[in-house]
Amino acid sequence: MTGSRKTVYLDYAATTPVDPRVAARMAECLTQQGAFGNPGSTSHDYGEAARALVEAARVQVAAAVGAAPADIVWTSGATEANNLALFGVANYQRETARHIVTARTEHKAVLDPCRELERRGWRVTYLTPGRGGLLDPAQVAAALKPDTVLVSIMHVNNEIGVIQDIAAIAAACAAHGTVRLHVDAAQSVGKCPLDFASLGLDLLSLSAHKSYGPKGAGALVVSRARGVQLAALQFGGGQERNLRSGTVATHQVVGMGAAFELAAAEQAAETARIALLRERLWRGLDLTGGVLRNGEPGHTAAQLLNVSFEDVEGESLLAAVRPFIAVSTGSACTSSNQEPSYVLRALGRDERLAESSLRFSLGRFTTEAEVDAAIEAVGRALTRLRRVSGSRTGP
Amino acid sequence: MNYSNLTWRHFDDPACAGVLSGAAVRRGAAGSRAQGTWVQFDVRIGLRNRESTVETVRFLAYACPHVIAVADWVAQKAVGGPAEPVLPESVHALRKRFEVPVEKWGRLLLVEDAWIAALTSPYREASA
Repeated sequence: MTGSRKTVYLDYAATTPVDPRVAARMAECLTQQGAFGNPGSTSHDYGEAARALVEAARVQVAAAVGAAPADIVWTSGATEANNLALFGVANYQRETARHIVTARTEHKAVLDPCRELERRGWRVTYLTPGRGGLLDPAQVAAALKPDTVLVSIMHVNNEIGVIQDIAAIAAACAAHGTVRLHVDAAQSVGKCPLDFASLGLDLLSLSAHKSYGPKGAGALVVSRARGVQLAALQFGGGQERNLRSGTVATHQVVGMGAAFELAAAEQAAETARIALLRERLWRGLDLTGGVLRNGEPGHTAAQLLNVSFEDVEGESLLAAVRPFIAVSTGSACTSSNQEPSYVLRALGRDERLAESSLRFSLGRFTTEAEVDAAIEAVGRALTRLRRVSGSRTGP
Repeated sequence: MNYSNLTWRHFDDPACAGVLSGAAVRRGAAGSRAQGTWVQFDVRIGLRNRESTVETVRFLAYACPHVIAVADWVAQKAVGGPAEPVLPESVHALRKRFEVPVEKWGRLLLVEDAWIAALTSPYREASA
């Protein structure tokens, strides 16, 4: 369904609209008058012009996350970056190591590759965070084995917004020795400070479309300073340090670079504004009664609010609010299957509460009036559905 | 999940949601909230031409939009009909009428179970 103009968009964690300033930069690369050349064509000015833009974007993306430009490997998004990180490390070190550590609350783009690696003979330890969603770095340290090659932990959880203590987890990995740390930071850029180099990270997955850039663009940050080695997953041209063959999509990475530069520049002010809106939303929802906030208070990213609603059936709740607000029941990648959120289940919510939970994610274009409209829409839906269900009547 | 216009109409404005109180009311329910679907019917029965006839129906449902819509439709269509433990329309026909996806067909059986439970239950003084 195409969103109507009356529908308030509160699903920025699923994707964001491209910022008009970003779109303008992208458009400059597409037509005959723009930098349409193949950035791999160094034999003429068209290619050189495109290449200059790609490298400028590399600098912008690197600067936004505290990495060196040469660390950036363009991908089609965070899912591809996660796959390249996990299979790349595993394939490169398959003769010497067979164990990976991750968390049950990771995105499917990490969990599914881990399942595939298990089918290929790897052992994977899935850590269970506390009820608030936070991992104890001691859990990570305790899970490390002599043959552990990789730890993969996300920075900001895409469903509940919990921010993991990546610095402490990195320290635990460093204490172990050679284990590599991969961080999925798809939800982080422009929302939470993250410095790749100073944290001592080995691999970092990034996505453009979560930060007002285009879909189909992302990057894997691969630390050269730390000597990270990966096996390539695709071949045919040797682009991107031989790690990701294929013509680089100039307009896409230019968009990602512009988006990340804006995100970094506007992060402080934007995060402060969105945090206020998020708390306004929570206070309004809390007044409706029978609501539970998911995620460790004080450790969640400003843009995300995940709430469980008592005494309403999940699918009906989502349907009842759908004409008024665009929200999701969890990850955009899994919410279509009508299953309760595995993240909330992992945190101990029962199946019914996990089903009747909504993820509200606010963004750059969210207004106070939209937040108030969302509170009203949810309140109306709860009143109606609780009346229809008789609330606590029945087994 | 997409819903038919009929489903949206009954889900958005379930005119028969509620409970009945007083004499000559039968109540029956099926399913459970813990398992995700629960339906209850209250049926007031009267005599018309010496035949037991459904006078008024109210329902409660902790359920998905399809089940709420079907329960509301049943509650409306049953009025004036015989007070028998048979839905106004078969589950098969209801599946078609409301375009219920195959994975939810089992839930409609709970609507039928609740209806049968109500119509076969003893009269009770239902409390609101």
